[in-house]
Amino acid sequence: MLKRLGFLGCVLTTLAAGISVAHAHGEKALEPFIRMRTIQWYDVSWSNPTVEVNDAVTVTGRFHVAEDWPIGVPKPEAAYLNISVPGPVMIRTERYLNGQPWTNSVALRPGADYDFKVVLKARVPGRYHIHPFFNLKDAGPVMGPGRWIEIGGDAAAFSNPVKTLGGEVIDMESYGLATGVMWHGLWLLVGLAWLLWWISRPLFFPRYKMLEAGREAELVTPLDRRIAKVILVAVPVVVLGANAMAQNAYPNTIPLQAALDHIDPLEPVVNTGAVQVKILRAEYRVPGRSMAMTAQIFNGTGHPIRIGEFATAGLRFINAVAVVPSQDETDHLTAAAGLHLDNDAPIQPGERRTVMISATDAIWETEKLDGLIRDADSRLGGLLFFYDDAGQRYITSSSVAVIPRFD
Amino acid sequence: MTTNPAELAAQPYSGEKARLSRHFDYLILVLAFFLYIGSFHLNVALTVGDWDFWLDWKDRQWWPLITPLMMITFPAAVQSLLWERFRLPMGATLCMCCLLIGSWITRVFAYHYWNYFPINMVLPATMLPSALVLDVILMLTNSMTFTAIFGSAAFALLFYPSNWPMFGMFHVPVEYGGAQLTIADLFGFQYIRAGMPEYLRIIERGTLRTYGQYATPLASFFSALLCTLMYTLWWHLGKWFATVRYLKKI
Ligand SMILES: [Cu+2]
Repeated sequence: MLKRLGFLGCVLTTLAAGISVAHAHGEKALEPFIRMRTIQWYDVSWSNPTVEVNDAVTVTGRFHVAEDWPIGVPKPEAAYLNISVPGPVMIRTERYLNGQPWTNSVALRPGADYDFKVVLKARVPGRYHIHPFFNLKDAGPVMGPGRWIEIGGDAAAFSNPVKTLGGEVIDMESYGLATGVMWHGLWLLVGLAWLLWWISRPLFFPRYKMLEAGREAELVTPLDRRIAKVILVAVPVVVLGANAMAQNAYPNTIPLQAALDHIDPLEPVVNTGAVQVKILRAEYRVPGRSMAMTAQIFNGTGHPIRIGEFATAGLRFINAVAVVPSQDETDHLTAAAGLHLDNDAPIQPGERRTVMISATDAIWETEKLDGLIRDADSRLGGLLFFYDDAGQRYITSSSVAVIPRFD
Repeated sequence: MTTNPAELAAQPYSGEKARLSRHFDYLILVLAFFLYIGSFHLNVALTVGDWDFWLDWKDRQWWPLITPLMMITFPAAVQSLLWERFRLPMGATLCMCCLLIGSWITRVFAYHYWNYFPINMVLPATMLPSALVLDVILMLTNSMTFTAIFGSAAFALLFYPSNWPMFGMFHVPVEYGGAQLTIADLFGFQYIRAGMPEYLRIIERGTLRTYGQYATPLASFFSALLCTLMYTLWWHLGKWFATVRYLKKI
């Protein structure tokens, strides 16, 4: 019920503001603990930032569903990977989850790993900031990393042919429009004619006076009654006749499809056990905009490993000592040298070490994640990326309560 | 000026008084037009909302249940005013014409030009055939009770067959992503709505679903039943709101 009310609110706002959302697609709107501990995005990449109308743009990426799913958020029983566009300036032609085609919503499993691919087709020229994001039922949109996409060309050149099961190729941009306009036009004509039939006479005062004077019979003439009888018969006949014709013309229709897709998670990618991390304590230093985590790390792999990155809620803190940030990471949500350790020496195979990790950057504040310390749920969650000397990557997902420090 | 026989008969005024009264008619009609476009359109947007906005919400159960039920409200109230006070049998048709004009303006400008949705994806449903029948039943029976029972039933029952000629073709199946979808579903998938994930659709849910192909007739009959009550309620609301205090002074 509350949802419906909320929805009504949305409609009101929509009617007032005209549905449009320019660039505030709510990246920062959701509480930090939801952004950090539900969908944990990584490896999101875009095929090409500059395209023409009708060209394809592919978004791929991976995400881990946090084990420590917040108690305040309903479990992800229906989730939908969406794209934050201001209306369909691009259409979504394909979407895959773990390689499986995916058109409806899906249930996600906390602790599981997924990869996705969305193929978009450019439709309206312009420059748009576009994110993949998850609509989580009863929780809200959890944004993935965004990217500017520039669409050139001519909107009128866009076409979207689709083949029906019967083999007919239709153009989605215009299919059924002429029929709709025809029927609406026809009924509107009949309706307006009926209105005009009455409106062309003296209306309110005269009719009221005559009714009061008991001259009711003169207000509705025998001709009016004859026309009304014709309407009473003809309208249902036309309606039922047209309905029968439509059923004949399209005999093989099906109801709207409302099934939930079922897609199994990947083989574990995150928290495979090769590297084990337990964050013992986390302190957020408000003036320094720095998250200091004390982590106990066990290297169960056969190689020395180093901590390369801490990622949470779309923010990336890179350890410049361990990995060289690629060109792509000039993004404002990436702190290219934002991750520091008290001991940069690689962790040896079989070694268990307690490390002080600090993730420092103003993006904690600009992305409004520092609000965590004022939330009812002030637990931090995120992904730690480890690299061995052969370039092999190990990912862990951890969470811990955060303690603020105001000095 | 028209020289309609009905006009000559039904005109207690003459000369300047007739002219003024006619100006008043036009004033009221224009005001009513904008009032109904605004208020009825808003009322429908708030109650029927997504079922009327999107192709992939127009299902067999909720759409034929909700739409007539929520669209009989204003027509009933306006009918009670126009028929009781003026013997004008055009309340429902007037409301529905205003609603459709308002809907089309919104769909074309807000949805299509401003937010890029193809118009066919946001085609409104029509209830004009239902409204015409409702008006003539009231006129021919001159009875609120008869209209509430038979008119409301016809209003609800005519809804689905009136709209199937427009929307049936969007239920043609398409193979997509290894499953069957309707063209309407495909619109929902392809034409991205950031604020409307698929799971928000309230479609094909509830116990009527178990009746399979009979879901629509059952939903329509259920709607007809509820429309009878809704009609009565709004007829009285209309009556309560309509005051003739000022008219009496003239
Ligand atoms: Cu953005």
